[in-house]
Amino acid sequence: MNTIIEKINQALAEAGAKAAAAADAAAVEQIRIDYLGRNGLFPALSKEMGSVPPEERKDTGRAFNTGRNKVQELIDAATARLASADGGSGEAIDLSLPGRRWKTGRKHPITMLADECVAIFRRMGFIVAEGPEIEDIFHNFDALNTPQDHPSRDPQDTFYFNDGRILRTQTSPVQIRVMESHEPPVRIVAPGRVFRRDTPDATHGMNFHQIEGLYIDKGVSMADLKSILQTFATEMYGPKVKIRLRPHFFPFTEPSVEYDFSCIMCGGKGCPVCKHSGWIEIAGAGMVDPAVLKNVGYDPEVWSGYAFGMGIERLAMLRYRIPDLRLLYENDVRFLEQF
Amino acid sequence: MDISRNWLAQYVAIDCDIPTLCDKLTMAGIEVEAVESAGTVPAGVVVGRILERKPHPDSDHMSVCRVDVGQGEPIQIVCGAPNCDAGNVVPVATIGTVFHTPEGDFKIKKSKLRGVESMGMMCSEKELGLSDNHEGLMILDSSLKLGTPVETLFPGDTRIEVEVTPNRPDWLSMWGVARDVSCLLDTPAKLPEITVPECDIPAPGLVTVEAPDLCRRYIGRVIRNVKVGPSPKWLVERLESIGLRSINNVVDVTNFVLMELGQPLHAFDLDKLEGKRVVARRAKPGEEITTLDGKTLTLQERHLVIADAVKPMALAGVMGGEYSGVTEATTDVLLESAVFFPSNIRATSRELGISSDSSYRYERGVDYDMASLASDRAVQLILATAGGELASEKVDVNSGRPAEKVIPCRFDRIRSLIGAEVSNERIADIFRKLHLKVDDVTSGGCTVTAPLFRLDLEREADLAEEVARINGLDRIPEIPVAAKMCGSIREDAYQALQTLRDRVIDLGFYECMHYSMVNVNSALADRRFRREDLIELKNPLSLELAVLRPGLLGEMLGTIERNISRRNLNLRLFEVGKVFCGNAELFPEERFELCMALSGLRQPERYSAELKEEYDFYDLKGALESLFELANVKRYKFVAADDARFRPGRAAEVWIEGKKAGHFGELAADLTRGWRTSYPVFAAQLDVEVIVNADHGRSYYVPFSLFPATSRDVAFVADEKLEHGAILEFIRRSKPADLESVRLFDIFVDDKLKAEHKKSMAYQLTFRNAERTLTDAEVNSRFEKLREKLAKELKVELR
Repeated sequence: MNTIIEKINQALAEAGAKAAAAADAAAVEQIRIDYLGRNGLFPALSKEMGSVPPEERKDTGRAFNTGRNKVQELIDAATARLASADGGSGEAIDLSLPGRRWKTGRKHPITMLADECVAIFRRMGFIVAEGPEIEDIFHNFDALNTPQDHPSRDPQDTFYFNDGRILRTQTSPVQIRVMESHEPPVRIVAPGRVFRRDTPDATHGMNFHQIEGLYIDKGVSMADLKSILQTFATEMYGPKVKIRLRPHFFPFTEPSVEYDFSCIMCGGKGCPVCKHSGWIEIAGAGMVDPAVLKNVGYDPEVWSGYAFGMGIERLAMLRYRIPDLRLLYENDVRFLEQF
Repeated sequence: MDISRNWLAQYVAIDCDIPTLCDKLTMAGIEVEAVESAGTVPAGVVVGRILERKPHPDSDHMSVCRVDVGQGEPIQIVCGAPNCDAGNVVPVATIGTVFHTPEGDFKIKKSKLRGVESMGMMCSEKELGLSDNHEGLMILDSSLKLGTPVETLFPGDTRIEVEVTPNRPDWLSMWGVARDVSCLLDTPAKLPEITVPECDIPAPGLVTVEAPDLCRRYIGRVIRNVKVGPSPKWLVERLESIGLRSINNVVDVTNFVLMELGQPLHAFDLDKLEGKRVVARRAKPGEEITTLDGKTLTLQERHLVIADAVKPMALAGVMGGEYSGVTEATTDVLLESAVFFPSNIRATSRELGISSDSSYRYERGVDYDMASLASDRAVQLILATAGGELASEKVDVNSGRPAEKVIPCRFDRIRSLIGAEVSNERIADIFRKLHLKVDDVTSGGCTVTAPLFRLDLEREADLAEEVARINGLDRIPEIPVAAKMCGSIREDAYQALQTLRDRVIDLGFYECMHYSMVNVNSALADRRFRREDLIELKNPLSLELAVLRPGLLGEMLGTIERNISRRNLNLRLFEVGKVFCGNAELFPEERFELCMALSGLRQPERYSAELKEEYDFYDLKGALESLFELANVKRYKFVAADDARFRPGRAAEVWIEGKKAGHFGELAADLTRGWRTSYPVFAAQLDVEVIVNADHGRSYYVPFSLFPATSRDVAFVADEKLEHGAILEFIRRSKPADLESVRLFDIFVDDKLKAEHKKSMAYQLTFRNAERTLTDAEVNSRFEKLREKLAKELKVELR
């Protein structure tokens, strides 16, 4: 063993002792200066390397590098030890004190559900269409095949303006507006606010939100409708949810159906939410009535299609188990921050 | 409508249980809303014999009985009924029996009554739901085997409440429902035999129809010498089974036939009809009638009445008159069975606010053919229950039987609409089972003739519904969803609105939702509007909610106040919604607005100094700046504004790309008066279209310097009126080379400066070059030049 290797081993022992004893950053710095600094031991030793016989150079060089790295490790470890001892920097941490919260906003449950519905239908190729909320009788009723003396036209149920127009009672006039201005095929979804002259209570409001779908093409059948609704139910409430169609009546569809989801609370076994029926009524749908197609200039012998609609408040109340619709319009922050 | 299972079973054999029947009805479109088992004795009630009766040691009116219920040891029951005598055979509710009452379920448990153990309950008829008799225990036949379940002795009825859609008035009767049930259960439906004695006594002038446009058919006939009185038990029970009250035998028959066949009938007291005849005519303007419920109505020509020779006796199809009805004193009856046109009845019923079982059916449409059959049925039943004899021919005044609709049907078209494989034979079979007439069957189709009770069937699509419904909607297959791009439609503003909402939520605001109808005060809290700018509803729900919101501020104020009163004081709220303006010079009729509101503590979860920090003007300004930054709005500015919504000197206009986008500021004192908060409230109202149009969304990559920056600080005393913006603008215009940023880091005012109307300001200027490291000398020279310029041209005093 040559002298250089001896010196290195000795230096490592000394430096180890000094590093263990170092009480502050200055002491650690002194170790660095003594061994690694410009005038320290290792730079000095490197100058002596030339005098080492060639056969020993390889081992000596390896010992030198290992030694120098080892000293650096001792210094780093001592620095880390000192740092943790004084708690990093400054005051001690009380982990139980409240953190400084970042401001996070909240989306209203109705918007959340509307956006979610739109996203699901967009994935299935539906395009969002919208229309005015102050609507005329033609688009809201006449073109939708609503009989002249149908009760829904009654001022008991519909808000009128002095100029004869109304607040739309459904999103269906958007169907008419789109079909009037576009050639088939048409595949749209129309979310929006609608108005009924209902006194607000736990399940009714003067306005609420609907989302409506329409698909007109060649050869569209009730099987297409059923599949879209089942896919929607699955995307919305999970793969276990089943749908059920029941015959119903609407002036603008024939055949007409109402559709139910198997109860998302009990899975269909029966519970108070589904009134022990296992099914939850969602909304109406059907094959677009030939009269409606004729009203917008589509030939019902060539084109057929389906339409469906649903209430967004209802979906939100089911999703978040909200018992009273009025909570959605009261805007208490303790409500809003829950979603 | 209510259906009685037992009544229904008179016309069609029901060989399935109630849940199955209900499911079949619902799935065929007759939606079952509620099921109520009337007179059904609960399980657990058994026949028992009282063996012994002893007085209760601690009660005057209760007895302690030993009762044999057919199994095991006799049980002890404490009973308060007067007739719990030994030897009586009575119904006994054993432990565990559950009574379903309107007030909730009631379970029989082992209990102690005044200290004496009781192991069950002996029941009255009322307690078992069999009658209203509650005078004592129900006494059963003593030959009954003890322990027999009482429910097997009294198999009650089930009332099924269904919702009938307006296109199917034919379902508004037991017979109508039975017709569909026969199809659903694949078993024939049969009417009882209807026989009427021959009578051809002429009755000229008995019936006149002067308004054939409103009255399509009027059948009148006379029955003399009836004995009006209580109805037989079977009739009372039938009516009660669907919730109707018995009145007298003649009236009950008309109600029974109405419910059985769906044809409204009316019985007049012939003696009370002037001229002993009826006229179906339009009312004379101002003519009056007092209806059965005692209301006096003034009529117009648009109302159809059934009058005698002089005055109206009934509001046709809606309600009878008070003076012409059948009473105990009636001996001769004129029986009406008529067909009125639906829309007139509907208009009258709605206008006068009167509806009845008759009007409900007339306004949906009754079966022309049924009017005749129902008349026969009523005659048959009146003669059977009230005696008397038929005393006139069947007077039938009509404007002709309407033609039945003949509908061509293509089997392929039906299949392609419903998307299910149904054979030609099955399609035709479904039609036949629904009592439709099927002719001309070929391999491609058939013709279907719709009977007059199916006025809803007009077109092929209507036939498709019948096939879909009866074949079963659950048998329509699910097929893969074929998403399809219909590219001709371009999506409009929805995405932009979604993005804007998301951005405001990113800033930390909570989204609110308010009604579109507001009261005038709320609307005018937004001082940009005057009363005449508001859009008014013609028929508001209440005068309170009579206008459409012109802006979102009014309702937002309500929400803030509501939250404050509930001690939710820290608020970051917003709404994006449609607002309405009736003054085209101000705004378009419908547009979207964004309203934001801010108040309270910035860090309510923290403590000490941080806890005291309140939101101020600059928080809301900063929120808007961040919003515009997120939206990559290129050019925007804030201009001091004088606006009645905000406190003087605490309001600003927002301009985006040269367009006024809205306002924000601290709310005016009179808008927040009385609010229980010490924190100022800030709000912004912005036009969504302006922001969305300036939302450039994406931006392009700009390279940044990797060389070090050098900073220099400059501090000076300036006039207190000199604005930060003016200093920034000045520095920007002087264009010092390589100036990267200017940062204000201090504003300071002490008493001395204040007295001199001055302030001290300090800025840090940062220089950086894109391609090399700047030398100290370069930076110093540029910095010094700028300092001199500031001193000279902005008249500030360098420090």
